[in-house]
Parts: sequence; structure tokens; C-alpha cells
Amino acid sequence: MTFRSLALSGIRGNWRAYSAFFLSSVFSVFVFYMYASFIFHPDVINGEIKGAGSVRQGMVACEYIVAIFSFFFILYANSAFLKTRKKELGLYTLFGMTRGQMRWMLMLESVFIALLAITVGIGIGMLLSKLFFMAMAVLLQVASPIPFAVPLKAVLFTVVGFFLLFIVLTFLITIRIGRSEIVELLKEANKPKKLPVFSIWLSILSVLCLGAGYALAYTMNVSTAVILMLPILGLVTVGTYFLFTQGSIALIRLAQKNKKLFYNRTNMIILSQMAFKLKDNARILFMVSILSAVILTASGTFYVFDKGGKEQVLSQTPQTIGFIERGLQSHAVIHPDKVREIVKGDGRELDYEVQLVGIPTEKVRKGDGEKLLYDNWTAAVVSESDYNRVAELKKVSKLSVVNGRAVIVFPYKYKEQSSKPDLDFSSLEIQLNGERTTLDMDPMQFGAIIAPIESFRNLIVVDDAQYKKWLSATPMAGQKVAYGFEIKDWESALTTVRKIEAAIDSDHEQFAQMNRVSSYLHMKQTSALTLFIGLFVSCLFFIASGSMLYFKLFTELKEDEAQIRALTRIGMTVSEVRRIVISQVGIIFLVPVAVGIVHTFFAMKALGNLIMMDVWHYAGVIVGIYIIMQTLYFAVACTNYMRRLLKAAV
Amino acid sequence: MTVLKTEALCKTYSSKGNITYKALEDIHFEVDKGDFVGIMGPSGSGKTTLLNLLATIDRPTSGRIEINGKEPTKLNEKQLALFRRRELGFIFQDFNLLDTLSIKENIVLPLVLDGVLLAKIEESLGPCAELLGISAILDKRTYEVSGGQKQRAAIARAMIHQPSILLADELTGNLDSKAAKDVMESLKDLNEQLGATIAMVTHDPFAASYCRRIIFIKDGKFFSEIRRGTSRQLFFQQILDALSVLGGNFDDIPFARS
Repeated sequence: MTFRSLALSGIRGNWRAYSAFFLSSVFSVFVFYMYASFIFHPDVINGEIKGAGSVRQGMVACEYIVAIFSFFFILYANSAFLKTRKKELGLYTLFGMTRGQMRWMLMLESVFIALLAITVGIGIGMLLSKLFFMAMAVLLQVASPIPFAVPLKAVLFTVVGFFLLFIVLTFLITIRIGRSEIVELLKEANKPKKLPVFSIWLSILSVLCLGAGYALAYTMNVSTAVILMLPILGLVTVGTYFLFTQGSIALIRLAQKNKKLFYNRTNMIILSQMAFKLKDNARILFMVSILSAVILTASGTFYVFDKGGKEQVLSQTPQTIGFIERGLQSHAVIHPDKVREIVKGDGRELDYEVQLVGIPTEKVRKGDGEKLLYDNWTAAVVSESDYNRVAELKKVSKLSVVNGRAVIVFPYKYKEQSSKPDLDFSSLEIQLNGERTTLDMDPMQFGAIIAPIESFRNLIVVDDAQYKKWLSATPMAGQKVAYGFEIKDWESALTTVRKIEAAIDSDHEQFAQMNRVSSYLHMKQTSALTLFIGLFVSCLFFIASGSMLYFKLFTELKEDEAQIRALTRIGMTVSEVRRIVISQVGIIFLVPVAVGIVHTFFAMKALGNLIMMDVWHYAGVIVGIYIIMQTLYFAVACTNYMRRLLKAAV
Repeated sequence: MTVLKTEALCKTYSSKGNITYKALEDIHFEVDKGDFVGIMGPSGSGKTTLLNLLATIDRPTSGRIEINGKEPTKLNEKQLALFRRRELGFIFQDFNLLDTLSIKENIVLPLVLDGVLLAKIEESLGPCAELLGISAILDKRTYEVSGGQKQRAAIARAMIHQPSILLADELTGNLDSKAAKDVMESLKDLNEQLGATIAMVTHDPFAASYCRRIIFIKDGKFFSEIRRGTSRQLFFQQILDALSVLGGNFDDIPFARS
């Protein structure tokens, strides 16, 4: 037996512990290589791919994240392995292995693992890089496909980087061993576990921190975001840490005090083991829950921008094509017939078209003579029935206005401002054609139904009789008309819109709103790219955090086996063993995820406050996917663990 | 009244290549209620196999076991677990107490698992702990008490649910002589005062001298049986004599803790 084969058998013997770590390492090498192969792809470097520059920067940022994460992951995993192998190392020392030899052996093991992980990771990366390039080509909308390539630089960077990472970290870790006595190493496994203790003050502190962090996040808005962001992060992190190290133990103690609950069949074993497991794994559980919160919040945010972006574009551009003519008969911007013609000429159909006649206000003030929002605030006065006609086409709620009253319709959602004293008024003084009229206000409305250009940014809706009276006093040239054309399947109508845009008189460009399709497509591409690139980093985090938990679980296998053996001997049934194991594994896998999810919901609430959108259902989708994935992970771990323990039973 | 009865009990282990090994062959014996039986024999004689069969954690190749009128070999896995929980009490060489529980919790575990009411649990615990002299350490953790105390706690756990029979496996193997004496005295009290039925496998002639009778087995077969008179010292001498007749190696108690 050579020294090399001893190291190899060390890996083989500890394969169960190594496997999860190995897979995560392979995955991080894979992700790293794939990004690198795009970053160093000849076509990208030569600038042959349009828009690749900014994507490249994003990927470089991701590479940093992957590298930093791998650093901590490998560091943690290595030191955790060593802890589980203390007894083995103690034996080696007992047989006269010197410290140098022991270090050398561990280094050799590490080299094997590193080489294997790097080879497999790059192999998979090469295999899948063509797929990755294809996806990138679709997302970047390049005409010719990005050819398959294995950039030498990418390979070198990955191999050298990860190899150094493995070796240096192992070296750092091995320095630490050899300082302890043999007998301590040997006894490590048999050390009795001390009863987990907790501090009531720190538990209270954790609750306070979490509560304060959550409350701040819940009430955060645009103006306070900058000041509150860091304190919230700090509070929640500190709160989570003490929640796992102190609060969890306090909770279990409380449950144990309830004798009815505690002295009820397997509860006694489950609860008392839970205290130990939580205490032993507090740090890792803390890290995983923060990691989960980060993954979920980041993915949720991207997802919100992806999905919510469309809503936002739609709210800003009520119709695909919108423009405004000054004067009832004027067609200075473009003639509606011309629009119809171009649309038809492209083989497209109109979903609907609208014309909304409005009387521009000369001056609007609050009933008490104060200014409204800002000087020169103007609006178009439209009739109730006209408004409702458009509202019906737009499928938004209709209005009903009685004589003598009016409703202001703002184009965007001013959730914050609706509480501002600026908009707190009960009547409105409107000046039209030199004549002032004061109307009482109904509750204001938000959401543009027609392109918000010029006077039509804001609408004042009045009843038909009032409108007629004003209209008759307004010359035709003083009236304004807003046109809106909704093209069917507008998402793909970019060329048609471009043609219409070209037909518009360049002096009148500012009276037309044609940007819906292009902003939508741009938004779509950006968010799809971000989602796609971020997906890999999220997956890496997810897999790595799961594998840390998996590994932690199996480090305690021996103790648990002994315990289960003792329990089955005194007559514990298999179903009771199952219940205990499921609860044990469940705590390790699902508690941090649950905490992470709660964090995420508050983070999403804060995000919702910032962008004034309801983001719950988007957050729900992401959280749902995460729960499914984590449950799968849990099921795999639980099955494996159960199999081992049931084998040990009797 | 017979609590335990075995008839023509055999256990054969077979490994790859068709090499069979007879660990036990044709074992007959009975244990009456209130009896205290020791089972002795040299290493490899099959004592542990016998105890495992009695403990229902191993199944005989042929033959019958009857405990309290029931045949455990005919039960399915779940029934067997419940059978062990209700009819048997176990005492192990390495205590098998759970680190995560306090001494008290360890003792009441069988009752808790069986869903016994809290008041009843408390009621059973008191006299049991009193008898074994561990009332003072009930709230301590397992690592805070001595080996002898641990073993006495294990005995309390084995008998708290009043099983039909207590099965003990080398229970003094991990104890020093003083602790071993205390533990055996406790076991004797259990037997004499509460009428507990006990079957004990041991190497230790001193521990065995507390039994009422001892069955010797050798190479998987019944060898001889001796009964105690009035004097324990005399019985101890008898055991030593019997062992010298039996021959074999008795010095193989493993070092369980380093």
C-alpha cells in the first residue's frame, strides 16, 4: 500500500460525506467555466455580438460571486470534514504517522478531489456550453448562432483558480490539526454532549431585532429606503443568528416545560434531540437561512421586474399607438386613415381604436385658491360618457359623476402622494375659456386610459351636461383629440409601429407615443438575460446550501445509529423510528428554509413599497418553486438517512 | 408459573460458500416467575446468541420460545416491537441511555412511548427510583453521573413498565468492583422484594453468584446447571468450580471505553 493509495482509500471510505460536497464543487466549477467560456468567447471579445458587452460585465460580476462563494464553501466543508475524521486521524497518529505525513495525506486527498471535481465540472461545462450559447443567442437576438468554442483562457482560469482554491484552503486547514493530543482526537467521538443552554436576554434580543427589522421593512418607502436598508439587513442578520443559537433552544425548553406535550410518546425524544440538533447546527442553519433569503429575494426581485415590467409598460402606454391632435379637425401628427392603412398593409388587425375629445384647461386651482401640485398643472376635461366608452375598451372600471362634481384621473399610481396634503382638497376651481367654475371633487382615480401626452396627462371627468356646456363655448380649434390604436398581438408589431413612426411629421413627434413595443421588448430582453444568468448563481447557492445540510446530517449518523439501536431494542416500532427521523431531518432541512421564506416575504413587501406594486404573487411563485426544490432535497436526504438508520435498528 | 420456556432452540449462521456454523443447538430450559437465572459459558459458547433470541431481536432457526404464554416468533415486526416494549426489560453492558435525555426521562421512556398518562408515569417512577437508590440524581444528565448510577438508571428503565422478564447482558462489564456490587445488590433486591423475573448473561462469577441458579452452556449446547443454597460465598466457589470444569477462555470482556 502506497501513501497515495491510503489517501485514495480515505476518499473512498468517506465518500458519503464527500459526495454532496463533491457535487457542489462540480456544480460551481461548471457554472464558473460556463460564464468564463462566454466571457472569453472569441466572438464576444471581438465585439461581433451586439449587446454582449453589458452581458459580459454582468457575467464577470457573477464570476466574482461564484469565486467568493466557493472560497467560503470549500473552507467550511474542509474544516467540517476534518472534524468528523478526528478519530481516524488520532488512530493514524497512534500508529506513528507524523504531522507532516498526515498533512501530506490530507493534501493528496484534496488534490484528488480537486482534480476530479475540476475535470468533471469543466467536462459538463463544455458539453452544455453549446446549449448555453444557443440560449444566449436567442436572448441577445443575434441572427447567426454563437459557435461552439473552448476558449483556452476560460479553461485555464477555471483549472488554475479552483485548483489553487482547493489546495490553499486545505493547507490552511491542515495547519490547524496536529496541535491537539492524540487522546483528545480519539475521544472526540465519545465526548458527551453538554445540555444546550440559552440566554433569555439574547433570545429576547433576537425577537426584538427580527421584529424591528420586519417592522422597518414593512413600512419602508421610497424616501426612507436609503437610510433603512442597512439597518434592516443588520437587524435581521443579528436576529436570525440569535434566533438559531438562543431563541430556538428557548422555544424548545418552553415546549419541554409543557409536560402534557413533552411526555407524549415520541415527542420526548424528538423535542430533546431537537434542542441538541439545533444547538449543534445553529451556525450552519443560520447561514443557510440567510442564503435562502438572499436567493429568494434576488430571484423574486428579478422575477418581479420581469413580470411587473410588462404591467408597468402597459400602464404607461395605454395603447400601442397614441397621439394628440390640437383642434377637432386637425391631422397635423398623422391621419387616422394613414395609421389604419399601414396596419392593414402589414397584415395586422386593430383590436380597437379610440378618439377622446377633451377641452384643455387654462388654469386649475384648488377650491380655496391654493395651487394644485405645481404651477401650470393642466388637464383635459372629458365627459363622463366619453371616458366610460374608452374605459370599457380598456377594461377598467367606469366612473359615474353627478352634476356639479368632478373626478381627477391621474396617469400613474401615486400611492404615496395620495396621502400628501397636496392632494387633500374637496373642491376644484377650473378656468376654461376665461371663465372660472368651482366643482366639488369625488375621490381621485389613477391609471391612464389614453396616451398621457400634454394636456391629456391628467383628465378631469365631468358629467355630460356640464361638458356640453363647456364644449359649446370652446372653438373647434381649441379642442384637443386624443387618438389611441390598439394593435392585436402588439408584442410582435415592432415593424408596423416603426413604419407609423416614420410617417409622423417630425415637428409633431412629441405629440405621439409610440414606444410601447420597443420599451416592452427592451425590458423583456434585459430581465430575461438577468434571470437566465442569475439562475445559475441561484442554483449554485441552493445546491451548496443543501449539500452543507446534507453533510451535517450525515456527520451525526453514527451517534444516531447507536441511539436508534438502543431505542429499537427497548421496543420502539419502525413507524416511531420513522417519525423521529423525519422530524430530525425535517428540522435541519426545512427550518432554515422557513426562516428564509419569512425574511423574503418582508423583503418583498419592502420591494413592493418601493416600486408601488403588488408583488406578493410573484414572490409566491418563487417561494413555491423553492419549497418544491427543497422538499425534494429533503426527501432524498431523508430516504437515505432513514435507510441507514433502519439498517442499524436491531 | 413459567414465564419463559424454550424448546429445542437452534440457531445456525450460514455464510457465503455454504459454511454453516451452529451457534446454538437444542436448548431447553424454563424460567419460573420470580426466578433469577444466570447464563454462563466461555467465549463463543452462544450466550449472547441465546440472549438475542430471548430478546426477540434475532429469530431462531428452529425451535420454540414462549414468553408469558406468547410466542414472539409468530409476531410481525410491529407486534414484536410492542412485545419488547411491554413484556421485556433490557439492561445492557454499555447502558444505552440517551445523552439527550435526563436520567428521569431515560427511565420513564418506555412508559412515555406507550402513551401512559402523565400522573401514572410519575406514580411509577417514585418507588422504582427509591428502590434503586437513584432518587437524588433523577434530574442529572447522563454525563454527570457515575457508571454504577447509570446502570442502576438503566435497570429502573428496564423495570418501570413491570415487564414479564428482565434480560441483562453483561451488566457489570463496564463497572468497577464497587459499582458492580451495588448494581448486583439492586438487582437482587428487585428479585427478592418485587419478585422480578431476571435472566442474565455474564462472564463474571461474582455477578453470577447473586443468581438463584446458573445454566452453563458450551459450544452452543447445554452443559450443566447449578443452584444456589443459602450462602452466596459458597455459591461463588461452586461457580468457580463449575467454570474450571467447563474450561475455555473467560478473559475476553472487551474494553468498551478507552
